[in-house]
Amino acid sequence: MIRSDNNRFGKPLYILYPGDHHAAADNSLIATVVGSCVAVCLYDYRKMIGGVGHFIVPGSIGTEGIIADEVAAQGITSMEHLIGEIVKLGGDRKSFRATLYGAGEFSGDHGLDNVAGSNIQFLHEYFKLEKIQVAREDLGGNYRRKIFFCPRTGSSFRKILMNNRDHSEFMRLESEYINGVFGNNERFGKVLLFD
Amino acid sequence: MKHIMVIDDSPTIRTSVEFALNGLGYAMDQAENGSDALEKVKSIKGKGEDVALCIVDINMPVMDGITFIGEFRKVDRFTPVLVLTTESEEGKIKAGKEAGASGWIVKPFKNQDMMDIVQKLVK
Ligand SMILES: [Mg+2]
Repeated sequence: MIRSDNNRFGKPLYILYPGDHHAAADNSLIATVVGSCVAVCLYDYRKMIGGVGHFIVPGSIGTEGIIADEVAAQGITSMEHLIGEIVKLGGDRKSFRATLYGAGEFSGDHGLDNVAGSNIQFLHEYFKLEKIQVAREDLGGNYRRKIFFCPRTGSSFRKILMNNRDHSEFMRLESEYINGVFGNNERFGKVLLFD
Repeated sequence: MKHIMVIDDSPTIRTSVEFALNGLGYAMDQAENGSDALEKVKSIKGKGEDVALCIVDINMPVMDGITFIGEFRKVDRFTPVLVLTTESEEGKIKAGKEAGASGWIVKPFKNQDMMDIVQKLVK
């Protein structure tokens, strides 16, 4: 993530890179670009705190759903990182509203079938289990999206990038991030026992 | 009846921990924050039953995990408390240990690891 203070919006702009998340309560903007990845915008409408997470669920989810699934566990953990930051600022998932973007489908993507489909399935199941209202979703399609989100108001803006060369540097980073998580989808956290 | 109390603000996480520990033969209880858990522990003990283990998240509204461990240790010095969190920073882990945690797992967890560590702790 980088922060820019000199920009045309006249307020701090946080640009999320693939795999990043950020939450805030101030009058700032969070922006990112998603192709195959998803951008989840969460807003606590009682506390006026919001955040964005950029991630991908690395593979397909088994028929038993996301609870018993080790691929889905990576997506759940990405959501936990984002929600944890909002909770640290005083938020509570009971008053969250979500807006979902991304999961674009591109032919020949990462040599894996239906990554977009499993990411969309993940988001649907996750928000249902969490009982978090999805205010708007804009998922799928074969285009990339540029997202702006205001954490203080919860409003978001999406621009479709029809030209696939737009933001090509960003797309290269997304591709690197995706290859990284797909190559290492057995990523589990450390386990410590104190004596 | 022996209980395992799973304390996390995420229903998805609470259900997946329950799923992982299903075969162990404990009564599984859920709480959505530290203060909810303290009340539920009290009511279990009030019925003359035992809490064998608490599995607790760190970032939760109302009462976070570190505060919970401190409060829980005032009334129960020995029941193991296992932290399950996305936090992996040294300082946080140290604070958890000092508050009285017995172990620390960084999310996501492998079901087998969860089983193994829980069996070690409840022994
Ligand atoms: Mg939490």
